[in-house]
Amino acid sequence: MTDDFRSRAKLIPKGNRYEDFQVGRVFEHHWGRTITESETAQFSTLTLHFNPHYYNAAYARAHGHPGIVANPMLVFTTVFGLSVEDLSEGGGPFLGVNELTFYQPVYPGDTLRARSRVLDRRLSDTHKGFGIVTWHTEGLNQRDELAIDFKRTNLVRQRTA
Amino acid sequence: MKLAPLTGRGNYFEDFRVGNVLRHARGKTVEPLEQVWITNVTMNTAEGHFNEHLMKSSPWGRRLGFGGVTISLCIGLAAEDTAENALMELGLDKIRLKAPVFHGDTLYCYSEVLEVRDADRPDAGIVRFRHYGVNQDDKHVFEGERVVLLKRRAPWAGK
Repeated sequence: MTDDFRSRAKLIPKGNRYEDFQVGRVFEHHWGRTITESETAQFSTLTLHFNPHYYNAAYARAHGHPGIVANPMLVFTTVFGLSVEDLSEGGGPFLGVNELTFYQPVYPGDTLRARSRVLDRRLSDTHKGFGIVTWHTEGLNQRDELAIDFKRTNLVRQRTA
Repeated sequence: MKLAPLTGRGNYFEDFRVGNVLRHARGKTVEPLEQVWITNVTMNTAEGHFNEHLMKSSPWGRRLGFGGVTISLCIGLAAEDTAENALMELGLDKIRLKAPVFHGDTLYCYSEVLEVRDADRPDAGIVRFRHYGVNQDDKHVFEGERVVLLKRRAPWAGK
């Protein structure tokens, strides 16, 4: 019988907790992602982001670009998304972002990867069992050039003893 | 291809004055389409955004929206009026998610002009906006600043 697979299974846990975020610790995040033309066009139209640079190739070329430009909000959410398993999947709401800079355009075919450094952490006074952590996250392209960076703050669950 | 007819005539750099507050005409109901598509396409692995079964037993009782979707949609709702004639998005700051957004909520957006200044190129200027997002109950769910490089009318409106 194989019906006991659930009792034999060991959970493979995901995510980190407050205690894992020593100030200065660097995370090189997983996977990377090549931005595609269909995704940036679909993202822009689903979010009603009506700037033709993101879905009209002739318009983008007339402004000096090689073709469609990746919507910067897709660049942001992709770099953010790549960081989630390491930084925030462990639980706790996303509170805010400061000092986000877009350094250069990203084009379909460019590949983004993300890395983050822990800037600050403290225990929450109002949310028992949680701390507040701030990370500096960078999004780099395939030439290792900085495309975007930002500081993100989350409530992060403490490890239960 | 003529460029100027493809975008608006009332949203060049010169059209924005510090203190102006814009109410953007359209709202958008946030469907699982936007929430789950954007969460999964950007490889956000937090299952609170896509596991309804798990979230039914959470304090919220249902899936929570990904904050990146709230930010992108609020800025998107403002985009025709504040980004259509943008040459480049420069940055964001002081982004705050003030209340959770759930599937089926409807978002509306307002924008305030905080600053206008020259850019380092003569055909464009820089505007700093503060965008506000509210839901169907007039609850303030999002706020954040955005800095954008906008075309000036004279060099661009005839192209």
